[in-house]
Amino acid sequence: MSVLPSAPKRRLRSQYPAESSENHVEYILVASFDIDHGSVMEHQYPAPISGDEHMLAELMLPDQTHMRSQDWTIFFLHKDTSAEEEAREERRERRRQRRRRKEGLDGDDPATNGGEANEDMEGLDDDDFDTEDEEDEEDDGIEGPPLVYVLNLVNTKQDITVKRGAIVKAMAICTRHSFLHIYKPLLLLALEEYFRVPVPETLASLYNAVNSMDLSLMPKLSPLEGFILQASDAKDMFVEKFDQMIKQRMIEDAERNSVPSSSGSNMSPARHNATKYVLPRDTHEFDSRVHYNGIPVPIKVPTAISPETVGDFSLIKLIQTFSTPHATSPQPFALHPHLTTSGAYTHPIIVLVNALLTQKRIVFLGHNRPSGEVAEAVLAACALASGGQLRGFTRHAFPYTDLTKIDDLLKVPGFIAGVTNQIFTHKVEWWDLLCDLPTGRMKISSRIEAAPVSEGVQFFQQQQAGLGGNPSIGAQIASAVTAGEGKGAVDLTGDNAFMDGLLQAIANRHGEAAIRSKWRFWVLKFTRLAAAFEELVYGASALYIGPHETEDGAGAYGVSGHGYVWNDDISRMKELAANTHRIEGWRVTRSYFTFIQDLARRWEKRPVRGIDLQHQHDRLRCARLSHDQSAAIYLAFAQAVEEAGPSYSPSDSMADLSSGVNSISMDASGELSPRRPPSEQLQYDTILQLLTVVPETNSGLFYISLGLFHPRPDVRIAVVKLLERIVEHPAGRHFWASLGRFAKLAFFRVKREEETGAGR
Amino acid sequence: MGASISKMMAKIFGSKEMRLLMLGLDAAGKTTILYKLKLDQDVTTIPTVGFNVETVTYKNTKFNVWDVGGQDKIRPLWRHYFSGTQGLIFVIDSNDRDRIEEARTELTRIIQDREMKDALLLVFANKQDIAGAMRPKEVSDKLHLEKIAKDHVWKVEPSCATTGEGIFEGLAWLSNNVKVPVAK
Repeated sequence: MSVLPSAPKRRLRSQYPAESSENHVEYILVASFDIDHGSVMEHQYPAPISGDEHMLAELMLPDQTHMRSQDWTIFFLHKDTSAEEEAREERRERRRQRRRRKEGLDGDDPATNGGEANEDMEGLDDDDFDTEDEEDEEDDGIEGPPLVYVLNLVNTKQDITVKRGAIVKAMAICTRHSFLHIYKPLLLLALEEYFRVPVPETLASLYNAVNSMDLSLMPKLSPLEGFILQASDAKDMFVEKFDQMIKQRMIEDAERNSVPSSSGSNMSPARHNATKYVLPRDTHEFDSRVHYNGIPVPIKVPTAISPETVGDFSLIKLIQTFSTPHATSPQPFALHPHLTTSGAYTHPIIVLVNALLTQKRIVFLGHNRPSGEVAEAVLAACALASGGQLRGFTRHAFPYTDLTKIDDLLKVPGFIAGVTNQIFTHKVEWWDLLCDLPTGRMKISSRIEAAPVSEGVQFFQQQQAGLGGNPSIGAQIASAVTAGEGKGAVDLTGDNAFMDGLLQAIANRHGEAAIRSKWRFWVLKFTRLAAAFEELVYGASALYIGPHETEDGAGAYGVSGHGYVWNDDISRMKELAANTHRIEGWRVTRSYFTFIQDLARRWEKRPVRGIDLQHQHDRLRCARLSHDQSAAIYLAFAQAVEEAGPSYSPSDSMADLSSGVNSISMDASGELSPRRPPSEQLQYDTILQLLTVVPETNSGLFYISLGLFHPRPDVRIAVVKLLERIVEHPAGRHFWASLGRFAKLAFFRVKREEETGAGR
Repeated sequence: MGASISKMMAKIFGSKEMRLLMLGLDAAGKTTILYKLKLDQDVTTIPTVGFNVETVTYKNTKFNVWDVGGQDKIRPLWRHYFSGTQGLIFVIDSNDRDRIEEARTELTRIIQDREMKDALLLVFANKQDIAGAMRPKEVSDKLHLEKIAKDHVWKVEPSCATTGEGIFEGLAWLSNNVKVPVAK
């Protein structure tokens, strides 16, 4: 394909617009170890950061820093941002007013007229992007102001000319960007410079250099696009957006050069023409440069970032650290129903993720290890449990901390902390799970709080009596609940099989992205199990939003059903029973509640509502379906995509696809019908939503393409049409490209048949 | 008497383990003592950020020695190391007459903490190689040991970390006086 298929044409916005008032880096700090007083802050630029200065200096000079010449640490600040929040709220309000004005509802409000020119200057091109504005407004701030991430470099230099023989200094960069690792080379240069020239100006020059970094050509992606980009290996996924950014810029440049500015810009046009914009080699990263001290430092900024992904950790490293000792000589854990979900020999990584999900106090200890190493483990653990979906881990993470913060740390209910001080081993009352990095062993504290008895546990235990018809199955289900207590021999949760597959993938060098994507699926599955569990035990669940088959016999688009798919009822009961404890443990945590809020927000923006795409695709994948049942699913997919498009009108040819099916508007309130009118954009988003269900790393379009072999010709034609839409789609074309040759041939055959009329 | 029993115990049970905490004002020589014990070498040290911990085996006893930085701002952290400590080594710079008062205040605070009530107290009157250094008697008087450590078994040992003088004698004293040998 020579021409890039493009997304619906509208002006694209930058993730980091050049005119934005938000700096990349907010503060630069320098601390040193004073031989008489201990850690002290030396300089802060551009202004003193609020909060306890001494505490910060302590964090910047980690324990045992005198033992090594260099160390990195990461820590987070929960900075009071009330002033910034107010400013943000004000901007939002202005935008809202502008929108209302545009809609002609606000004409008679004189109060808003003052200073209007000013506002409009600020948000000059905002009007084109109302929908996108909403998205990013809602993305942050749900659980308080964004964190300030601090990347810190500390150097110890032996120097016999100074008293007591050494100088220890640290420099830190404070930013709201979670990809703080990009600043590492700059900190190395700047701290070296500071040893030479220990004055505030050294901080200022770094501050100015990093803040002049230009990311304005980095397109803003929607959450669905971000999700797809991350799950994809294609190096040119969404490259058309980068292309469009460049084109927009070139038009702007041309306009600026042709219109003689009244202020008499003396920038020569030649200089503008010389500016060359290039497409990124890999769209997962955006290339930029920072000029510091005359050195152009190349920087790569990730285009899409999942929530709870901070810095450059490695899940593979974390998993291997704790898997190797477990594989060679497994040691039994002290049992806890939330944690040891497969008994005393539960895989340590599963124990860790269970501890994270049920909000335990987790300490990573790296005695005699650089503090950067423990910080990395903490960040990896956060990403592990989040799977890019759950939140609330990094906000309660302390990637590196020490005894000075212990009193504050212990006030946090459920934390993930990194330490290097071995004293933590002895303080069993400070943690629930201790993960020792040097030995790769985990330990459950003898002082951990017992899990409360819950309704779920009782529910499944009663199943023994309830399923009177077959007592042995009832007993199996009841015993599945207690598997965590060491009685389960078989892998009821499926975690052992999952870990085996994961380790296999690591051994086969599948790479970090593939491993992260496997975890994403583990977490997704967990949330879907939890939804099914709640519906079963409590009768309802906020973990699922969408059509319920109870409300109406058949769902919209002619298919019904939602949630996780099991082959039969017994396996469903067994799996849910085996997960009871950790689901119950999760149901009272921060990540559970934020997840429910996130679902509600995502629902607001969801392109297709009347169908649970994931559920239907799962049915295609693993359920035994009759031809009519599978036909209904294929037709529903095709219909959902087609009806979102601008060319769709109800009397159109699609009508025959949905023949025999009551056409939509299943719900009197209209809640399930799409909020947005059919448009190119809606169709684009609908296809994205469908693609998120079929990531390339999983099965891709394979199960959808099976519809090309369906006995019913109308189904085959609908699938061709659906695949055509996907091929034309900027992201979909990559999915098509990785589809097998066999399916592609079938596609062209069916298409030919249709054209010659043979299909009908 | 208690000492002879523990000696017997040591003979019967072989090796024992003992957790020691080494504190003192900054620049008293704690880290130098630690590495003299560990390596039997005079190493050049730099100020300790946080702590050092080493295991030293001497005369059938495995000593787990924690050496914690002494700058005034980090002294409040010392308390976290108290629990489980069987012996406190408090290091004095015998030439620093100006700060002996300060040392006494800190030592009083440590030794009277509830978690330290059973700990042995060994004071190293360090840096004896420098002319004019306070002798052990003067150190114990200035620290008011008779008063502040009256509930503890204590000893002042003259030492010189760089040469090793007194260091191993001090360790032997701790080993002989530890009340309950922690057999592992």
